[in-house]
Amino acid sequence: MIAARRLDLPTTTATEFVDITRRLQDEVTAAGLVAGRVHLQSLHTTLGLTLNENEPLLMRDLQAALERLAPTGTGYEHDDLLRRNGIGADEPRNGHAHCRALFLLPACTVLVEGGRLVLGRWQSVFAVELDGPRQRQLALQLEGEFARRADAPAPSDRDLVELELARQLLVDPAEVALPMRRLVEAGGKRLRPLLSMLSARMGPGRDPLRAAALAAAIELIHHATLVHDDYVDEAATRRGRPTVAAQEGAGSAVAVGVYYFAKATRIIAELGNPDVTFTIADAVEAVCLSQMDDVRLRGSYPGDYAMYLRVIRGKTAALFAASCRAGAQLGGARPDAVERLARFGDLLGIAFQMADDLLDYSDSSGKPRGQDIRQRVVSLPLIYATEDERLGPRVRELLAGPVPEELIQEVQDLVVATGALERVGEEARGLVAAALRELDQVDLDGVRPALTDIALATVDRIR
Amino acid sequence: MSVAVDGIDAHLDGLERVWEGGMRDAYGFYRARAVPAVALAAAMVETALDMQTRSGAPPAPPQLLLADLCLARASRLLAETRDQRLQVGFARAVERAASAAAGAAPADPPRALLVAVLAEAA
Repeated sequence: MIAARRLDLPTTTATEFVDITRRLQDEVTAAGLVAGRVHLQSLHTTLGLTLNENEPLLMRDLQAALERLAPTGTGYEHDDLLRRNGIGADEPRNGHAHCRALFLLPACTVLVEGGRLVLGRWQSVFAVELDGPRQRQLALQLEGEFARRADAPAPSDRDLVELELARQLLVDPAEVALPMRRLVEAGGKRLRPLLSMLSARMGPGRDPLRAAALAAAIELIHHATLVHDDYVDEAATRRGRPTVAAQEGAGSAVAVGVYYFAKATRIIAELGNPDVTFTIADAVEAVCLSQMDDVRLRGSYPGDYAMYLRVIRGKTAALFAASCRAGAQLGGARPDAVERLARFGDLLGIAFQMADDLLDYSDSSGKPRGQDIRQRVVSLPLIYATEDERLGPRVRELLAGPVPEELIQEVQDLVVATGALERVGEEARGLVAAALRELDQVDLDGVRPALTDIALATVDRIR
Repeated sequence: MSVAVDGIDAHLDGLERVWEGGMRDAYGFYRARAVPAVALAAAMVETALDMQTRSGAPPAPPQLLLADLCLARASRLLAETRDQRLQVGFARAVERAASAAAGAAPADPPRALLVAVLAEAA
C-alpha cells in the first residue's frame, strides 16, 4: 500500500536548513506506517534535501560551504534576464541557487521500522532552501505495511475526497485523465469538496461515500473551469506547473475541460438527488455567466465595487455556496440549515476571492506577482486604489489600457501606498466573521470546529 | 416552431447570436423528438460540442466561453426535468465527444449521440 502526502513548507530566509524530521515522523505515525519507506521529493528546482546533523554552528558551516561552492551574484548566465525568453520582470536572479542544488538531493528515501524513521543518532532530515523565502512543498509517498488498529481513526473527509478523486481519474481515457491528474495532484486546498463533505453530515441521510462522490465531482468541476480559464487568460503556469493549454495545446485543454465538466455532471446525476443536481447545475451556469462578464468588463478595467461583487459572486462564491447547499441537501438537512449553509458558503467564497486578490502582491502565491494586472482580471485592491484622492488618478491612468511590463511594479507600489491591501484584508476578515455568524443558529452536529477552521484558512493566507 | 410558443425564450439570454447562428435549426430538429426543454438542451449541447471540439481548430476564448455557457445551461435545463436517465445519457454523450476530440476512441457525431440518448429515454 502507498499513501501520498504533501508537506507545505514556508521558508523565511534566502538560504535555510529546515529540519523536517519531526514532521516526517508525524506523517508516518498519522498514516500508521509500521514498516517500509518514506520517499520524499522536492517539487522545486531550488529546494534540495539532505541528511545531516542539526547543530547550529554546523548549519552556519554548511551555509558557508554552499556560498563558497556557488557564490551569490558572481555573473551567472542564468541571471542575464535579457537573454532569456518568456520570463517576467520579477524573475529571480538565482543562478547561484540552481548551482548549489547540484550538491544536494532532489529526492531521498528514509526507511521505517517499528513505526519509527530509521535514522542514526546524529542524523536529521533537512529541506534546504536555496532561494527563499518562499512557500515550498515536498511530495511524500509512504510505502509498506500499515497498522490496522481497532482504534484507528476513520478516514478523514480529505482522505475520502482524495481517494474518490484518484478513483475517478483512474478510469478515464489517458488523453484526458493524464492532464487532469497532473493538475489535481499539483495541490489545491480542496475547500469546496471539504465544505460539501462537512455540510453532508448535517442531516439524517449522511453517507460518507455518497458525500465523497459529490465532493469529488465538485472538485472536478472546479478544475475543469480552471483548465478553460487558463486557456482564456493565456496563462502559462498554475500551481507552479505548466497549464494544460501550455503543455498539451489549446485543443486538448478545451476537450479536457469539457470532458470533466460532463463527467462531474454525470456523477452528480447518478446520486439520484434532483435538488443536488439542480443546485450544482445552477451554480455552474452562474460561473459561466460571470466568466463572460469578467472578460467583457476588462474593457472598463478596473471597474467598480458593484461590478466586482457581481463577477466574483458568480466566478467564485457560487460554487462555494453550492458546495455547502448541495452537501446539506444530500445529507437531508433541514431547509433552514440548507439556506444558512448556502449563505455561509457565499460569504466565504467572496472572502476567499478577496484574499486571492491580495496574493497578487505576494511572492508566496505560486504565481508571478502582478498577474491580475497583466491579465486585467477584476481585483478589489485595484478598485480601492483608484478611489484614493491623491494616487487614484495615476492608478486609473496606468490601468486605462494594457499595462506595460515595466509599469506593473509601479501599479503595485501605488496600490500598497493607498492602503488598499489593508482595506481588502479587513473586509475579507469581516466577511468570514459574518459567514461564521450564519452558523450560529444551525445545529452543526459537531462539525463547527472544522467549518470554522476552513473559514479562517481562507483569510489566513493573507496574514 | 416559435420560441415564444414553446416558452424557451428566457433560456436564450446571452445566446442570441448562437441561436441565430445554427442552434435554431438544431432545436427544430430535436423538437420533433422531444419536449421543448429537452430539445433545447440537446440543441445547446450539439452547438457547444460543434464549437468546442469539432471545428478543426480550438475555439477562440470568447467562443469557448459561449460554448461553456451552452453546456451549463443545457445541464440546468436537464436538471429541471428531474429525469436522471436523460441527465446521465447527455453527460455520457458529451464525455464521448470530448474524449474523441482529445484523441481517444472515435465517437459518432454529436447529433447521432444525442438522438440515441433521446431514443433510449423515450
